[in-house]
Amino acid sequence: MARAGGITNAVNVGIAVQADWENREFISHISLNVRRLFDFLVQFEATTKSKLASLNEKLDTLERRLELLEVQVGTATANPSLFAT
Amino acid sequence: MAVPVEEAIAALSTFSLEDEQQEVQGPGLWVSSERGSTESPIEYSDVSAYRLSLSEDTKALNQLNVLIQEGKEMASVLYTYRSCVKALPQLPDSMKQSQADLYLETYQVLDLEMSRLREIQRWQASAASKLAADMQRFSRPERRINGPTITHLWSMLKLLDVLVQLDHLKNAKASIPNDFSWYKRTFTQVSIQWQDTDSMREELDDLQIFLSTRWAILLNLHVEMFRVNNVEDILQVLIVFAVESLELDFALLFPERHILLRVLPVLVVLATSSEKDSESLYKRVKINRLINIFKNEPVIPAFPDLHLSPAAILKELSIYFQKFSSQTRLLTLPAPHELPPREAQDYQRHYLIINHIGAIRAEHDDFTIRFASSMNQLLLLKSIDNADIEWSKEVKGSIYDVIVEGFQLLSRWTARIWEQCAWKFSRPCKDPVLLESHETSASFSDYEKVVRYNYSAEERKALVELVSYIKNIGSMMQRCDTLVADALWETIHAEVQDFVQNTLATMLRTTFRKKKDLSRILSDMRTLSADWMANTSKSESELHSIQHGGEESKGNFFYPRPVAPTAAQVHCLQFLIYEVVSGGNLRKPGGLFGNSGSDIPVNDLKQLETFFYKLSFFLQILDCTATVATLTDLGFLWFREFYLESSRVIQFPIECSLPWMLVEYVLESQNAGLLESVLMPFDIYNDSAQQALVALKQRFLYDEIEAEVDYCFDIFVTKLSETIFTYYKSWAASELLDPSFLFALDNGEKYSVQPMRFTALLKMTRVKLLGRSVDLRSLIVERMNKIFRDNLEFLFDRFESQDLCAIVELEKLLDILKHTHELLSKDLSIDSFSLMLNEMQENISLVSFSSRLASQIWSEMQSDFLPNFILSNTTQRFIRSSKVPLVPVQKPSVPHAKPNFYCGTQDLNYAHQSFARLHSGFFGIPHMFSIARLLGSRSLPWLIRALLDHISNKIATLEPMITGLQEALPKSIGLLPFDGGVTGCMRLVKEQLNWGTKSELKAEVLRGIKEIGSILYWMGLLDIVLREVDAMHFMQIAPWLGLLPGADGQILHSQDSSDSPVVNLFKAATTAVVSNPRCPNPSSFHTISKQAEAADLLYKANMNTGSVLEYALAFTSAALDKYCSKWSTAPKTGFIDITTSKDFYRIYSGLQIGYLEETVQVPSNNQEVLGDSVAWGGCTLIYLLGQQLHFELFDFSYQVLNVAEVEAASITQTHKIPHYVQGWDGVLEAMKKARRLNNHVFSMLKARCPLEDKTACAIKQSGAPLHRIKFDNTVSAFETLPQKGA
Repeated sequence: MARAGGITNAVNVGIAVQADWENREFISHISLNVRRLFDFLVQFEATTKSKLASLNEKLDTLERRLELLEVQVGTATANPSLFAT
Repeated sequence: MAVPVEEAIAALSTFSLEDEQQEVQGPGLWVSSERGSTESPIEYSDVSAYRLSLSEDTKALNQLNVLIQEGKEMASVLYTYRSCVKALPQLPDSMKQSQADLYLETYQVLDLEMSRLREIQRWQASAASKLAADMQRFSRPERRINGPTITHLWSMLKLLDVLVQLDHLKNAKASIPNDFSWYKRTFTQVSIQWQDTDSMREELDDLQIFLSTRWAILLNLHVEMFRVNNVEDILQVLIVFAVESLELDFALLFPERHILLRVLPVLVVLATSSEKDSESLYKRVKINRLINIFKNEPVIPAFPDLHLSPAAILKELSIYFQKFSSQTRLLTLPAPHELPPREAQDYQRHYLIINHIGAIRAEHDDFTIRFASSMNQLLLLKSIDNADIEWSKEVKGSIYDVIVEGFQLLSRWTARIWEQCAWKFSRPCKDPVLLESHETSASFSDYEKVVRYNYSAEERKALVELVSYIKNIGSMMQRCDTLVADALWETIHAEVQDFVQNTLATMLRTTFRKKKDLSRILSDMRTLSADWMANTSKSESELHSIQHGGEESKGNFFYPRPVAPTAAQVHCLQFLIYEVVSGGNLRKPGGLFGNSGSDIPVNDLKQLETFFYKLSFFLQILDCTATVATLTDLGFLWFREFYLESSRVIQFPIECSLPWMLVEYVLESQNAGLLESVLMPFDIYNDSAQQALVALKQRFLYDEIEAEVDYCFDIFVTKLSETIFTYYKSWAASELLDPSFLFALDNGEKYSVQPMRFTALLKMTRVKLLGRSVDLRSLIVERMNKIFRDNLEFLFDRFESQDLCAIVELEKLLDILKHTHELLSKDLSIDSFSLMLNEMQENISLVSFSSRLASQIWSEMQSDFLPNFILSNTTQRFIRSSKVPLVPVQKPSVPHAKPNFYCGTQDLNYAHQSFARLHSGFFGIPHMFSIARLLGSRSLPWLIRALLDHISNKIATLEPMITGLQEALPKSIGLLPFDGGVTGCMRLVKEQLNWGTKSELKAEVLRGIKEIGSILYWMGLLDIVLREVDAMHFMQIAPWLGLLPGADGQILHSQDSSDSPVVNLFKAATTAVVSNPRCPNPSSFHTISKQAEAADLLYKANMNTGSVLEYALAFTSAALDKYCSKWSTAPKTGFIDITTSKDFYRIYSGLQIGYLEETVQVPSNNQEVLGDSVAWGGCTLIYLLGQQLHFELFDFSYQVLNVAEVEAASITQTHKIPHYVQGWDGVLEAMKKARRLNNHVFSMLKARCPLEDKTACAIKQSGAPLHRIKFDNTVSAFETLPQKGA
C-alpha cells in the first residue's frame, strides 16, 4: 500500500518555505496598509458627503429666504409712490 | 526620503472623520485586496513547490473548479430564463402573406436562446464525463497517484451540486420545452427552403430528448460513472465525508451545509444503485444516520423561490433508478406536504424564526457587547508601545474568537432565513380569505399565497429584526476589517506554528516513534508549514531570555508573525492529516476520524481532528470581507423567477415583494423599537441588485429591481414623512391639552403619545441604495415643507367653509401646527413657521395689508355675520338667528383630510374638537381674542377700516329710505295726550305713523340700523380685547423702559434724564466688552446697543394706543355729518321744536314702537331677527346726531310708558285692581326693556364719546342753544389708515 510519497528534498523545501514566510510578511504588510488607505478614502468620502449635505441644506434654506425677500422687495418697488414722503 | 508606510497610514488617523449619520444600514462597500483566499488565487500552482506529488490531483482540482464556475453560469441562465413565446407577435389576417417572414424572424430570435440550451446540453455531457473520469482515476484500489485531497472532495461535491441544480432547473422550468416546441415548429417552416438539414434536425431531436427527459443530466452522469464499475469507493467516501461534516456541524458555514444537504440524497441514490453496493455503504454509514439527516431537514433551500426536499427527490429518483427502489426505508420518508399535522407542527416550531427570536436577540446583544469590548482592547493594545507579549497574544486571541463567533452567528441566522423561506414556500397559506375577507380568494396568485399572506405580522416583525441583526453585525465586522486583519493573521500563524512545532513534535517523540511511514508524513507537515525563524527580527538577547524561560514548559517558543498560511499550505496540511488518519486507503472502513481499526491513539486522533477542521475555517477568516458578504447576503428574498413563470405574469405588484412588505410593516406598526431598522429591508434590494448583476449577470433583472426600488423608496419617503408629521403633530396636540383636564380624566393616558425616536433617520444624509447615495434628510425636509403648507392651506380652506365662530378652532389648530413645527425644528431645519404662514395667507407683499384670513373674515362678516347674527347684550355674544337666514350664504363644503391635518390621532381630534365645539355656537370675547391674535397689528387696521367704510356705506344707503319714511310722516307730531290712556295713545301713534304701505322699507331700515349697531358693538368687543392685550404688553415692557407707577396712578419715568434700563444695560455691557483688548469684533456690540436704543424708541412710541371704539364712534360721527342737515332740522326759533317730525329720532322712535308691538303680537319674531344691536345702532345714531335728549323726551314708547304709569296710578287709586291688563301689558313690558337697553347704550356712549362738554358750551351769547356742533373729527387721521382693498 503506497503512502503519500514524502517530500523528496525536505531540506530545500524547508528553506524555501522559510523564505516564503518572510516574503509574505512583507506582502501582507503592504496589502493591509493599502486596504487601510482605501478604508480611509471611503470614510473620507462619507464624511465629506455628509458635510456637503449639511452645507446644501443651509444653502437651500438661504435660497428660499432670499426668494421671499426678493418677492417682498419686488412688491415694494412696484409701488414706489407709497414710499415717497 | 521615503516615508515608512506604517507611519503614513497612522498619520491618516489624525484626520477627524466624524460623521453625524448613525449606522442604520447594512455594510455597503467592500474593499478587499485579495481574490478571496478560500480558493487559491493562483489555482494551486504553488502546491507543486511542496514536492508532495500532488500535480495530478491539482490538475484535476482546477479542472473541476473551472467546471463549477461554468456550471453556475449555466444555472443562472436557466434560472432567469423567461419564455420568449409569450412575447411573440401574432399576425393579423390582413398580413397572412408575410407569415413566412415572421417565421424566419421568430426562428432567428429563438435560435439565439436555443443555442444557449444546446450549449448547456453539451456542457453537461462533458462535465459529467469529466467528473466520472476524475472519480474513476482517484478511486482505484491500487493507488498510483496521490489524492484525492479534501479540497478535491469538496470540488467534486460542488460540481455534483451544480449538475443536480441544473437538472432541477430544467425540470421545473416549463417555459423551456414550450419555447423549444415553438422553435421546432418554426424550424420546420423555415427549413423547407434549406438544403441539407438532416444534421440540424438530428441535433434538434437530441435537444428535444434532453429537454423533455426528466433527470436527463443525472441519468447521463450515472451512465458515465458506471461505465467502468469502480466509483463506489469514492462515492462512499463522499457520503461519509458529507455525513460526518453535517453531524459535526463545526466549521461549516451555511452555503456549504446546504450544498451537502442537497447532494447527499443524490449521492445515496447513486451509491446504492446495486444490491451489493448498498450493503457495503451501510456498513460504513448506518442507514439511521442518513434517515436522521433527511428527517431533520425536510426542506432544503436551493433557489431563492424553490426548495428541495430529500424525501421527494428520493421518491422521484426511485422511478429512474430501479435498483434504488428497493430501499424502502428511505422511500417511506414523508415529503413536506405529506407530513402528519403533529410533525408539521414540530417542524414549524423549528423553522419559524418567531420561535427563536428571543434567543437570537439575546445572542445579538451579548455578542455586540463582547465584540465592542474586544475591539477596545485591541485599540488599547495598539496605542501602547512595548506591550506585554502574553497580554497582546491574549487580546488577539480573543479577537480571533469573537470573529469566529460572529461568523457562526451570521451563518446560523442567515441560514434560518433561508430555511424559513423554504418552509414557507413548501407550505402556502391555506385560506387567505380569512386574513382579508373583502377580497375574493380567486384573485390570489400562488406567489401571494406563499409570500404575501404567508407571513403574519409577528413573523414580519421577527424577520425585520433578524435582518437588521444580520446587517448590523455584518457592518460591524466589516468596518473593523482592516483593524483586526493583522491580529487575525498573527493568531492563525501562532495556531499553525504551535501545532506543527509543538504538538507534532510531541507526537513524533512519543506515538509515532516506531511508525516510519506515519512519522514521515508528520515531518512533512512540519516542513511545509513551520516558520522556524519567525523570531529572527527580534534582538538576540531578548530572544535568548525568553527562550530560556519558556523552553521546558512550552516547548518551542516563537514570535508571532502577522502572516497567514496560504490556501496551498492549508490544502496540503489537510491532505496530509487525512493521509495519516485514513492511511491512504479509500476502502478503510468507518468514518474519517472514526478510530475503528486505526492504530493511532484516541488522544492524538482528537488533536488531529480538531486541527483538521480548524484549518478549513482559517481560510474563511482570512477572507473576512468576502465571508461577511456571503453571510449577510439576503438578496434571495426578492427573487421569484419560478413563480413568475407559473403565474404567467410579467412581474408581481410590490405588495407581494418581501422586502417592501417588511418596510411597510415597520412603517405601519408604529413600533418605536423597529423604526431605526426601517432602512434594513432596502439592503435586501441592494443585495438582490448585486446578485442580479454579478452572480446572475442579467441586466433585465437589475432593471426590474431598480424600478421597484425607485418606486418603493418614493412611497417609503412619503409614508415616512406622514408618520413623522403625525407623530410630531400628536405630540404637540397632547402637550397643548389642558393638564387639569387630563388629570381629571380617567382615561387620560390615551391622549399621551408614545415616544418615538426619529433622530437617527432624520440624520441620514446618505442612504445607500443600489450604488447611489440618497440624501434622505433633504427629501424629508422637502416633504415636510410641503406638508406644513398643505396643512395650512387645509386649515384656511376649512375655516372658509365654516362661519366666523370657527375662528377659535382655527386658532387652536394653528397653535398646534405651530407647536408641531417648533418640536420638529429641533431635529430638522424646515422653513420658519411665520414664513409659511405668511405665504399661505398671501401676506408676503410689503405694501398689502389684507391677508387671506382678514379678507375672509371681512367677507364673512359682510355676507353672513352682519345680516344673520343677532346680539345679546347681556351675554355680550352674537348668536346666529334661529330664523331662516335672511341672506342665504354660499359656502364651499368642508374639505376632507386625514386626522393628522387636525391634531394627529383620532383620540386627540375628539378631545380638541370637544373644546372647539364650546365656541362654535356664538361669537364673543374668545373669538375676538383669536381674531386679534391671528390678524395681528398688520391686518387688523385693514379690517377696521373695511368695517368703518361699511358703516358709512350703510348710512348712505339708509339715507333715501329714511327720507321715504320722513315723507310719510305728518308735518307735525304733538305730545301724546293722557286722556285716552294707553289705548288711546297707541291708536294715535298708529294714526300718525301711517307707514302701512312701507312695511318693506321699514324692515330694510331696521336691518340697516341693526348692522350698524352690530359693527359698533363688535368694535366695542375688539376694544376690550385690545385693551387687555395692550395692558399685558405694557406690563412686560414697563420694567425695561423704566416706567414706574406714580402715587396718583400716573406713569413715572424712573430716570428722567438718562436712558431707560434696557439701553443702559446694553450700553454698559458693550463698554465692558469693548474695553477688553481681546474682543474680536467690537462693532457688532455697538450695533447691539444701537438696536437697544431703537427698541426703546419703538416701544415707547407704541405705549399710548388709542381706543378702537372711540375711534369708530368718531368716524361714524364724521360720516353722519353729511346727513346732519336732513336728519336734524335746526328749529327756526332757536328753541326745541316739540312738534317736528323730520328728525331722525322720530323715525327711529316710530320704528321702535312698531317692532316692539310686532314682537308682542308674533312672539319671538323680531327679537330673534334683530336682537339688541338695533338699539345700539339707533341710539348711537341719535346720540351722534345730538338728539338724545329729544329722543328721551319725545319717543313714542317712552310717552306711552309715561301715560301707562299715570293711568296705572289713577287706577290703583280708585279700583285697586289693575285692569289695564287689556292686552297692553306685553307691549309695555317690551317698551320698558327697550328703555333700559337704550339707557345702557346712551350711558356707554356718554362715557366713550362725550358730547356734553361740547353741547354745554354750544350756547349762544343770546342764551339760545346752538344745536349740533360740528366737533373735530380729525379726518386727516382716517386718511392715514390703510385703504380698503389696497
